Amino acid sequence: MSTLDPLAGQRPAPVPCNFTKPFWDAARECKLLLQYDPDAGKYQFYPRPISIFSGRRNLEWREASGKGTIYTYTVSYKAPPPFKGVSPFIVVTVELSEGVRVMTNLINCPPDQVKIGMPVRLAWVKAGELNFPVFEPD
Amino acid sequence: MSYDQGRLISDRGIAIIGYYETKIELKSGRSVYDLAGEAMAGAIAHAGIGKSEIDGFAVSSCFSDAGNPFYAPVLASYLGLELDWCQVTDLGGASASGNVARAAAAIRSGMCDTVLVLAADAQSSENKGAIGAFRSEFQYSVGIMGPPGYFGLLSRRYDHQYGLDPKALGKLAMTQRNHALMNDKACEKLRRPLTIEDYLASPMISDPIRMLDCVMVCDGASALVVTSTTRAQELGARKRVHPIGYGERINHLETEQCPDITAIGHSVAGTRALKAAGLTPTQIQSFHPYDDFLIAIVLQLEQLGFCEIGRGCRFVMEHDLSYRGDLPLNTGGGQISAGQAGLAGGAHNLVEAVRQLFGEAGARQVKRRDNAMVTGIGWIPYGRNWASSTVLILEAAQ
Repeated sequence: MSTLDPLAGQRPAPVPCNFTKPFWDAARECKLLLQYDPDAGKYQFYPRPISIFSGRRNLEWREASGKGTIYTYTVSYKAPPPFKGVSPFIVVTVELSEGVRVMTNLINCPPDQVKIGMPVRLAWVKAGELNFPVFEPD
Repeated sequence: MSYDQGRLISDRGIAIIGYYETKIELKSGRSVYDLAGEAMAGAIAHAGIGKSEIDGFAVSSCFSDAGNPFYAPVLASYLGLELDWCQVTDLGGASASGNVARAAAAIRSGMCDTVLVLAADAQSSENKGAIGAFRSEFQYSVGIMGPPGYFGLLSRRYDHQYGLDPKALGKLAMTQRNHALMNDKACEKLRRPLTIEDYLASPMISDPIRMLDCVMVCDGASALVVTSTTRAQELGARKRVHPIGYGERINHLETEQCPDITAIGHSVAGTRALKAAGLTPTQIQSFHPYDDFLIAIVLQLEQLGFCEIGRGCRFVMEHDLSYRGDLPLNTGGGQISAGQAGLAGGAHNLVEAVRQLFGEAGARQVKRRDNAMVTGIGWIPYGRNWASSTVLILEAAQ
């Protein structure tokens, strides 16, 4: 099927830092990694240099299931530079089954069909040369 | 947690004795230092004190000189200030109200006697801001329209949970615009009448955020003179406004990974400020909430206790929020109708509240001017609502 992604080909590359390298390395293999605090038994996202629960540097990287639901969304009619002349696109906050939220795009969904609570699954697009995690209807 | 932070000022031992606000302009071409100079000159003249009285300086960070790691002392040097205490506060729109509390703390601890609280920015003329961190890594690739996008996400969720009434937002837009029409310091481009229908017809930016939900970035500056009440009396200050309650909450619900994004730190900050002031929301005589987006006003009405959670739109429809009404709101026009002077924008509503309590608001003077509540909103964290909240309650000296 053809991909519905108004931002395709225009996404600027993310700027990783030293402690997020495992995340972007895994993204090359289309794996979404989350930081996990084994003492708190909780995941966190976005990646931090420390467990936000305990303040300890006890974090592990674990692969996410890639399943979630839409917590909220907005249909955007404009995008800031470097994007140019995009048609309406969807920004979503997805609540993953691991108990964290990811803010990204919903692709392969017409803007008038997105709904809060909708089940979604992980997909990958290019942002610069890197793989970037987005979601699509499940 | 310091539940006593509001009591820093509740004994009326701190006084605001002068203020000034520049004209808010779009792309003025003015240097942020020039704007700051006008604000300081105006504030000390209004307070009736000499420059040498200023021995403390609390300034809001700005976009125009954002690359300068020595901003506060450099700006103080431009202003000819020799100081015993200074700091820059980077709580965004919460900086100005936060700086009144910081000035009070500095005075109380003996660091200095009289503080110039100043906020200046010329963001629409010069922006050297570069906010990296998670934005560079996880936000910019998504194409979200910055704050309008984040408030689109928030508004959609609020609508899902409680129902969002666009007519109530339109009424807020119209009420604030009517106030800006009466404020000759407001940005001229915005001083045109506006109806609820104009609001409803304004184009969607990041659905459900419309263009008229948003602030327009401008240039401008404000300043306040804050000192001890004892010193104010020694200086023969002709009028005084006392800050009597304060609360601050930074990075609300930080460790919750799936929080209710309609819940904000103003619930905590407001409780502290009201408790310190010994007031309830129904006793607040005018309300000057930080307004980067109209829905922020609705959320604050709810979380500060003016109405129940989820009833903010109904509250707006049931009350007269004009300067003549039962709860006058952002009588200077708010940032949305007066223009947002970059990161100095948080001082606009603060100065308007002080102006009202001094009884110097001219044609838009509120009738009841014993007290006023001012709020601030700081930065926007990843995938959430705003992270920093301040609440400051002011009282006119009798």
